Amino acid sequence: MSDKKILSRDKRRYLLPSERALGAETHSYLPELCDQLRVRKITRRDFLRQAALLGMTVGAAYATADKLIGGAFTPTVAAATPKPGGTLRVSMRIQEVTDPAIFDWTEKSNVARFLVEHLTRTKADNTTVPYLAKSWEASDDLKSWVFHLRDDVTWSNGDKFTAADVAHTVNRWLDPKTGSSNLGLFAAMVETVKGADGKPLKRGIANAVEVIDDHTIKFNLRQAALAMPENFYNYPAAIVHRGFGKDYEADLSKNPIGTGPMKLEAFAVGERAILKKARDWWAGPFHLDEIHYFDHGEDTNAWIAALASQQVDMVFRLPNNAIETVKRLPFVELHEATTAQTAVMRFRVTEKPFDNVKLRQAIAACMDHKELLDKAFKGLGQIAENHHVCPIHPDYAALPPLKRDVEKAKKLLAEAGYKDGITVEIANGDTEGPWMTDVCAIFKNQLAPAGINLKINKMPANQYWEVWDKAPWGYTAWTHRPLGTMVLGLGYRSGVPWNETAYNNPEFDAALDDAEATLDVNERKKKMAVCEKILQDDAIIPQPFWRSVFKAANKRVKGHQTHPTLYHQFHNVWLEG
Amino acid sequence: MSQLILRRVGMMILIMLVVALLLFLMNEGDPRLIARSVLGPYAQDQQLDAWIAQHGYDRPIMVRYFDWIGRVLSGDLGDSIIYKRPVNEIFWDRLGNTGILAGVTFVVMVVVALTLGVLAGMKEGSAQDRVISVFSITTTSIPEYASAVLLAWIFVFGLGWLPGTSAMTGGFNVVELILPVMVLTLYGFGYVARMTRASMAEVMTNHYIRTAMLKGLPYRHIIMKHALRNALIAPFTVIMLQINWLLSGVVVTEFAFGYKGFGALLLEAALRRDIFVIEACGLAAVFVAVFTQTIGDLGYTYLNPRIRFK
Repeated sequence: MSDKKILSRDKRRYLLPSERALGAETHSYLPELCDQLRVRKITRRDFLRQAALLGMTVGAAYATADKLIGGAFTPTVAAATPKPGGTLRVSMRIQEVTDPAIFDWTEKSNVARFLVEHLTRTKADNTTVPYLAKSWEASDDLKSWVFHLRDDVTWSNGDKFTAADVAHTVNRWLDPKTGSSNLGLFAAMVETVKGADGKPLKRGIANAVEVIDDHTIKFNLRQAALAMPENFYNYPAAIVHRGFGKDYEADLSKNPIGTGPMKLEAFAVGERAILKKARDWWAGPFHLDEIHYFDHGEDTNAWIAALASQQVDMVFRLPNNAIETVKRLPFVELHEATTAQTAVMRFRVTEKPFDNVKLRQAIAACMDHKELLDKAFKGLGQIAENHHVCPIHPDYAALPPLKRDVEKAKKLLAEAGYKDGITVEIANGDTEGPWMTDVCAIFKNQLAPAGINLKINKMPANQYWEVWDKAPWGYTAWTHRPLGTMVLGLGYRSGVPWNETAYNNPEFDAALDDAEATLDVNERKKKMAVCEKILQDDAIIPQPFWRSVFKAANKRVKGHQTHPTLYHQFHNVWLEG
Repeated sequence: MSQLILRRVGMMILIMLVVALLLFLMNEGDPRLIARSVLGPYAQDQQLDAWIAQHGYDRPIMVRYFDWIGRVLSGDLGDSIIYKRPVNEIFWDRLGNTGILAGVTFVVMVVVALTLGVLAGMKEGSAQDRVISVFSITTTSIPEYASAVLLAWIFVFGLGWLPGTSAMTGGFNVVELILPVMVLTLYGFGYVARMTRASMAEVMTNHYIRTAMLKGLPYRHIIMKHALRNALIAPFTVIMLQINWLLSGVVVTEFAFGYKGFGALLLEAALRRDIFVIEACGLAAVFVAVFTQTIGDLGYTYLNPRIRFK
């Protein structure tokens, strides 16, 4: 039977009355998506993600997928009955929690996540589901998105949660004075104009946010974007109360008004954050009574010691040199998540000598990704390909594998004007652990045969974050994001706040816009291949590997899944004994 | 004697002023750098200029220095950049915590050091002396970061007897003090013990000790009444120096056990360039150093008449 016949028949078949009732007609592209799944042109995972993004409810998406290709992928209910109550104690750095829009550490958002919440939620399995928004629709051209908000949510101060809150929050992101990284993420709502000082200024487009009624809000984009729902779960994208930063100071630790189940009982930077269950939660029961975050300083040994002596039930993250120690603790469970967390050796392409593309290419050509992964990270991850899109990203396109080529590097170096070799310096703050220094040291050896002498400028982590977007060459850690387009939009589009490479390539921007606007999964992969190739060829980020992340928790912590970004979602978490 | 005290106190004030000036020049020499630290990396030039003018950082540096001294003397230590609170709110708590840790360590360490030092020095060259000497030299040679890991490995991971961190998350808990005190005592007691031993051994060779022995006085009586008091003069200054070390030298130990003390505060502030916290910590450390040194000198003078009457 030809594909065509299957397609036409399935188009009729997939919209059962029950599915119609579930909202399977939400977007005109959904029939096409179902066809693709039927003939296995896309995977079930791709289907679920895409269908959810286009506004289909999760239940409907799972049911439709089961219907189309069979299988029992419908989520099952956990066997054990959760026990309410108890205090979960977590060891994590406690940073200031002032304005969610300008958060730059996941740790900050973890404290805030139980106070202020998001329109959507990306689950540990990388699928995005409704949250404060109960559903959404996108126009066929993906240029306008309507989000329907829940009408049963109230703020902790008694106010009703409405579209005015969402509009206020999003408008704050789009205001350049706020300094939010969301300006890069929501590029489809952003324009570049000439600022008062003559320099280009990014700001939200007029009428980007349109309040339809109390519980409906529309976003008007200047170009198509598919990842809107996933972007709304990025960690600086929590929805704040409509008075935040307007009627009262933009400081969540002083004015913890939120829609979440908890209140901030006590808070001291560098010491503790005590969260207490304060009210009935719109999202259902929240099993834990209290969550206590304790700061045990920078020393990772102290975190593990706190876990070993049961002073805490969980550590925020486990350095990989502690994995063996933790495995020997009988009451502790090791959690691993395969992620798109990585660190990139990014060049600032406007700074000498790295403005020379041949030099960058020479350096990239020396990299043996596998050796770096195996020796510096015990092989706990996947090799990367210098373009910051990960094989676990649904929009990843495989390019021909990279191979270390010293002869080519020498040739490129000579063409770059350094035929007698060159000494270059990389800034590294070990921001994610001492393995980062190991990577630099091994890479130094890989560079040496080509005549490139690498000096490693080791600095404290906090000092690195002061120069991460300034140092001519630096080794910067990036957290996991669910889509490749998200990362590229945040980090490599011209002029966005987190563009640490100062990369400015209209050709790349156009290719990325194109990929972001493409619905067809396979077409989008092809377009992502173009973006990936441009980044790879311009050699702006030699990128050793993707790393698995580890976390450890006491076995009495139940119902917990490790999120690839280490976001704390404790909805189903409960304590035994 | 009172003239001596006055002279020493005057000297102390002068040293404090000079050190404070150095501290001030290093931290607040460049107003733009301060504005940048306070306002963050994304602040525009106009914002920096406005902040500098608003906070009086456009005045000559010496004017600012004396202004700062005045504010410090009146109890205003400025606002912390990373904690977003007045330094006063954090600083004294942390100093108090370190005071507790240092105080307990001091008592334990001095008792252990003097006892072992006296026991070793009583019979120079005996097996008892050898064992104590080797032990104290060994522990003093192991840096705190190594002994912290070693002791945690034994008592936390191995035996499971003690809590692994000392952040006092559930309020003050004396059990959480055991490991840090152990680490500090092991590292610090050797020096005092060795000084005491040497001093004791020297005293024990004196004629008046021999006379007392020949007179048939009980050995215990000779040690306690005749030897000890004279043997303690030399270690006294060393003991005073330990107070200074306990305040500024506990950084590593506090870091290793997540103890919320002065050392951890200073380390964090230094790593993240939290200028006003660095200044407050610097001043406190210098004050304790100079103060204990002065007390040490005065005490030594009092204990040793030869110095007093010179």
